[in-house]
Amino acid sequence: MKRLVLALVMLSCLTVGAGYAGAFLPGGAPAWAPWCMAIGTNGALMSLMALGATRRGRLAPALRWTFIGMFVLCAGAFAFALGMPAAEGAGGALLLGLPVRTAVLLYAVGVVPIVILPFAYALTFETSTLSEDDLTQVRAAHQALQRAVVEGRAQGGEA
Amino acid sequence: MAPFLLQASLPPLTQPAIVGIALVYFVVVAAIATWATRRTKNASDFFVAGAGVGLFTLAIAKMAATLSGFAFIGGPGLVYTIGIGAVFIILPGAITNAMGAWVLAKKMRLLGEVRGLMTVPDAIGARYRSRAAQGLSAVAILIAVVGYMATNLLALGLVIDAIFATGLAPGIWIGTAIILAYSVAGGILAGIYTDVFQGTVMACASLVVFLFALKSGGGMGQISHTIMAADAKYLGPWGEVGPIAAISFFFVFGVGSLGQPHVVHKFYMLRDPRQLKWYPLLMTIALAVTQLLYVGVGVAMKGLVSAGTIAPLGKADQATPQFLLHFTPVFVAGLVFSGVAAAIMATVNSFISVGAAALTHDLPKAFGRPVKNELLVGRLTTVALAVVAATVAQASGTLVAFLGIFGWGLFGSTIVPALAIGLNWENATRAGAIASIATGLGITLAGETLSYFKVYSLPTGVSISGLSLIASLLVFFGVSWLTRHRAASEIDPDIQLVMEV
Repeated sequence: MKRLVLALVMLSCLTVGAGYAGAFLPGGAPAWAPWCMAIGTNGALMSLMALGATRRGRLAPALRWTFIGMFVLCAGAFAFALGMPAAEGAGGALLLGLPVRTAVLLYAVGVVPIVILPFAYALTFETSTLSEDDLTQVRAAHQALQRAVVEGRAQGGEA
Repeated sequence: MAPFLLQASLPPLTQPAIVGIALVYFVVVAAIATWATRRTKNASDFFVAGAGVGLFTLAIAKMAATLSGFAFIGGPGLVYTIGIGAVFIILPGAITNAMGAWVLAKKMRLLGEVRGLMTVPDAIGARYRSRAAQGLSAVAILIAVVGYMATNLLALGLVIDAIFATGLAPGIWIGTAIILAYSVAGGILAGIYTDVFQGTVMACASLVVFLFALKSGGGMGQISHTIMAADAKYLGPWGEVGPIAAISFFFVFGVGSLGQPHVVHKFYMLRDPRQLKWYPLLMTIALAVTQLLYVGVGVAMKGLVSAGTIAPLGKADQATPQFLLHFTPVFVAGLVFSGVAAAIMATVNSFISVGAAALTHDLPKAFGRPVKNELLVGRLTTVALAVVAATVAQASGTLVAFLGIFGWGLFGSTIVPALAIGLNWENATRAGAIASIATGLGITLAGETLSYFKVYSLPTGVSISGLSLIASLLVFFGVSWLTRHRAASEIDPDIQLVMEV
């Protein structure tokens, strides 16, 4: 799983890089450049989260689907804003107080993750981030390592 | 956050109520700092608050350190000018706190526990067992810190001058002296507890002003209709800047958030690592509330100008002061101007701590000559750094503008690959880390210099920060892959343990 997630991080970075490179082409940025940046940036954010949440090569299914869902939502919102025709002139339709394309983008990317991601983190904290047992294990292993270092030094000194 | 409060000339705010609220604010800061200073006994207290901070304190302090005066003055001005495009600077905030928790929080906190680490370069040095990587990242941090501090001190001077009519130069030095008073005596411990008060002031001010902003234009729907009739692009999804620039903001401020040392190093300070469970929720809500003013005032002022209620602004940075003076009660104006000072002071204190640690702790370690009395030297370095930054702030607005431009990008491009990815990828190598830090440093410094002196200009919408961040990430992956046979031998067992748990 970790190799797949790392591959996604790298692929996302390459996609963003392609978007930036496109902006340097003669005649200005081609139409695909912002698409690359939008998909690549959302891919990078979600795959970095998945990379951080992967433990011992495994990503909890609940988190896997959370990150996939967030990517689809956020990248989809960017795609909607990029793909739909502009209709923000006088008398244009509003959604929750903003023009439709803007509202979909801002609420999907700026509001929905607030009510999903922190709860996904908290609700999987025990099983997928740091349980009491994990902490005890780290502290015990750390003490064992320290003891080994001290004993190693003592033996070195005796020798 | 990038400081843009450079060209502002704030209107006089010397009304008795505003002066009174500001004075009360400074007295409370002084009282908290005095209390916290008594608890500062050693270098650990000075640089990482003795790893004894609770979750609520940590979240509010991180929020206060993240947002500078830009969130209150420069940001609303930018929204007023370029519309929705400016919102992409704060939009990643909905995601970045959870991302920071998954990618860095647990590992940084446990590194602090098993190694007693105090700084971000410490973590990079420990991860790769490399003094070169630690030293190079410390150099990058130091360069960015001085620029950031100078721009923030200039902004603080402007605010103090506007409220107390001191003149700009005395305002800069008075502000510097106030921050130094608690930073030198109490270090980050004093900074953290003043941050909690300052962060609370910022959040309250932002929420109240947002409600006034909506009311001033007759609600969000009415404001939108008014603006759309006058300027169709402004409320479009990319505002006045186009998709490349807007998404570039989103990338730099999203992925780059993992490399902000003044925010990231606070993970070391948490008392109990298991309190991290609710960190993303607390931090995200605190940040979202405090950023309401950023969007609300900028859009409301555009609506008021579009409706002909007020004349177009001479300078964009006037958006917040003019809104407060004309559309809110004087008490609210006083609260917000105290909030601006609070935001700047909290950020500068964090930068001073990070910069002093780089000079006192990281660079001497990188050269193999650790300092014996880090507390004393840390205090002396704190004074020296602040004096240098204040002198730069006073001496040359042009130089300040130049230095202030690239802080966020320099932090992001030099720290994100080596730290954020390196702590989660066992096959990352020392060579990859050093190459990525050098790439970020080189591209940012060279690119910003060429761009600033107009030797070369980038295509529309492309920023040096974005280019250097993506280049350093790709170099990190590429060089680590080429040197992957060395990866396993470069991780100490205790670091491996932290990375695996």
